[in-house]
Amino acid sequence: MDRRTVIKNLALIIGGAALLPACSQDKAKSKVALKNIDISADQEQLIGNISETVIPKTTTPGAKDLMLHLFVLKMIDDCYRKQEQEAFVTGIGQFNDVVLKQYGKTFNQLDAKTREAFLLDIEKEAKIYSEKTSATGSKKIPTGASSVISKYPGELQAFYFTVKNQTINGYTNSKYFMTNIVVYELVPGRYNARFPYKQKQAV
Amino acid sequence: MANLNIDSVKERTFDAIVIGSGMSGGWAAKEFTDKGLKTLILERGRDVKHIKDYPTTNMYPWEFEHRGQLPAAIQDANPIVNRCYAFGESAAHFFVKDAEHPYIQDKPFDWIRGYQVGGKSLLWARQTQRWSDFDFEGPARDGFAVDWPIRYKDIAPWYSYVEKFAGISGNRDGIAELPDGEFLPAFPLNTVEEYFRDHVKSKYKNRHVISARCAHLSTPNQIHLDQGRVQCQRRTICERGCPFGGYFSANATTIPWALKSGHATLRPFSVVESIIYDDKLGKATGVRVIDTNTKEAIDYYAKVIFVNAAALNTNLILLNSKSHRFPNGLGNDSGVLGKYVAFHNYSAHIGAEYDGAKEWTTDGRNPAGGGYIPRFRNVYKQETDFLRGYASGFSAYRFPQRSWDGVGGSLKENLANKELGPWHVGSHMMGETIPKESNFVSLDDKQKDAWGVPLLKMNIDYDDNDEKMKKDYVEQLTEMFTSAGFTNIKAGTDKRAPGLDIHEMGGARMGNDPKTSILNKWNQVHSVKNVFVTDGASMTSTSCQNPSLTYMAFTARAADYAMSEMKKGNLS
Repeated sequence: MDRRTVIKNLALIIGGAALLPACSQDKAKSKVALKNIDISADQEQLIGNISETVIPKTTTPGAKDLMLHLFVLKMIDDCYRKQEQEAFVTGIGQFNDVVLKQYGKTFNQLDAKTREAFLLDIEKEAKIYSEKTSATGSKKIPTGASSVISKYPGELQAFYFTVKNQTINGYTNSKYFMTNIVVYELVPGRYNARFPYKQKQAV
Repeated sequence: MANLNIDSVKERTFDAIVIGSGMSGGWAAKEFTDKGLKTLILERGRDVKHIKDYPTTNMYPWEFEHRGQLPAAIQDANPIVNRCYAFGESAAHFFVKDAEHPYIQDKPFDWIRGYQVGGKSLLWARQTQRWSDFDFEGPARDGFAVDWPIRYKDIAPWYSYVEKFAGISGNRDGIAELPDGEFLPAFPLNTVEEYFRDHVKSKYKNRHVISARCAHLSTPNQIHLDQGRVQCQRRTICERGCPFGGYFSANATTIPWALKSGHATLRPFSVVESIIYDDKLGKATGVRVIDTNTKEAIDYYAKVIFVNAAALNTNLILLNSKSHRFPNGLGNDSGVLGKYVAFHNYSAHIGAEYDGAKEWTTDGRNPAGGGYIPRFRNVYKQETDFLRGYASGFSAYRFPQRSWDGVGGSLKENLANKELGPWHVGSHMMGETIPKESNFVSLDDKQKDAWGVPLLKMNIDYDDNDEKMKKDYVEQLTEMFTSAGFTNIKAGTDKRAPGLDIHEMGGARMGNDPKTSILNKWNQVHSVKNVFVTDGASMTSTSCQNPSLTYMAFTARAADYAMSEMKKGNLS
């Protein structure tokens, strides 16, 4: 793929997102053109809100500012296998069900603090599960079939960690991050094999 | 040029034909055109012009649609090439896609190919070591394959010759099993690589850790500037093609050099179907080409033919060049053509941590990739229950500690953290494999590709020697790592198919005896004096050093010999 095509595609995603109204009606289609998965505007909003909870706007841009939720969808649509995509879509349903049962509201209706608490609980449970299974010799983290050991079903976890990991992937590889936080240099023109480094003292 | 003579024999007649425009073909073209020979360079793939045809070379990571990852549909459609480490969003356009160029795996073989002007010289890892007499004397000493018809002294001046032009960075390390060359300044080892070097030196006799030698212009000389190349910029995204010509590729170096002479004709989209042998004249007269766009068959003629199609395709072309005199393939009186194929074994690696040198890190990037441990097993005498040995990569690196745990502001802070973690060290095995008659390629008698050329069948496998060597690599490196105080040592082996190391060799091996080899000491087909093979197909054994530099040196040497023989009238 040449540079021009990439830029054109990016422009399509970003431009498309800007042109369409930010609607949240049921059945409305996602803003990003997807080939393989069927995502409604509501689901897209959910993914946007999860991304934004993972990488929120602080004094620096958050997931929505950087369009990371659209990147997440693009990655799942293009780079994941059919089975993973199906599990992902199933996971959205499970995610919605669990939130509704637990809070009597949708994730999109929750405030930022509650959203964060819910996601952290999924992570906590996954950690317990993975410690349990690694103790029994199994290294498998639930990604497909529903897990009976964890509080949260496997597809829910797979859905959440997919969104989270691709949000971070998009974030740490974004132009914003790579020009402001880590400063990627295309042409450093140098290799210093012995470069002084001062580790900050642990507090 | 639109005139009635366009299809005349005269217009299709050259002094020399070079089949293939990659690592070795580029050298043949350069050598012939330097001496004013009218040379046709045939390339089966498309043209790739230096700089102009490197579409991703100046892209930032965030400009890749999938940040470097290939879509699942492309990965699934290409299970073979997808196993190659460099097949990603930034360089996929330089790799052969599985479906376009099928072959038959009687045994699993990952055939990684680059069909374009420059071939795989756009994709190689650019490591360049000379072979030594421990390699050229190996088969005779250890009783496998056949004796090499040359020794190090025969090739040494030609190593020097190609090194000066290509530009090789390295130190003069004074190690007999890894002869020094004509080096540009080396890329230095970093603190922990130096620490390991010193430790190994103090603890082990005849084990060394050196700066990896590589085909990069650390500091260019005039000859490199004359080629239009400049200093390597330490970008380490070489597989996209380098606009600086910072590393050696045929595209940046030999091919434009040959074209600049005015004596070269480059013909891309030209699959060589066979070499034409004239029974009456008793020599090869030319090459039959299928134009991949028109599917038209065209014959080209020349006094001398260099076959540089890359090891296995060179075997394919020779096997498919059948005549009354050679019913089993050109020059195949011995019956060994296609046999004694061997490769390298990269199927083990090891990683660890080092809890020290915290006050040091690196800045910028090292195009050499770090250090290199020359072969230390069975060098001076046989000391294990397996034949030959392995070289090893070695590198140390630090990266920021970034926890992906949690969400929100604290996660953002973690991701932005610039605190470096401990040093990590890693090594991978580069093992020599033993050529055997039972490891061979052959032509399928029914299935053909889109241009009517028979499909190649792979019958190549690992053996017990490879397994023992792999085990020894893991044991020895674990011991060396442990003794250096590295912690959290983790060794791993994988069950990759042969081929993924991309160093396939042999099939048209060199040898003294025409009864057991295809080529003589000049890379010349024993029984067809005007055909030469100077790519990986010609290798009698594989050494454990990377082979590309040796292909270059063989090619320059054979071209020089061919030209002197032409002058004497011995090839006409």
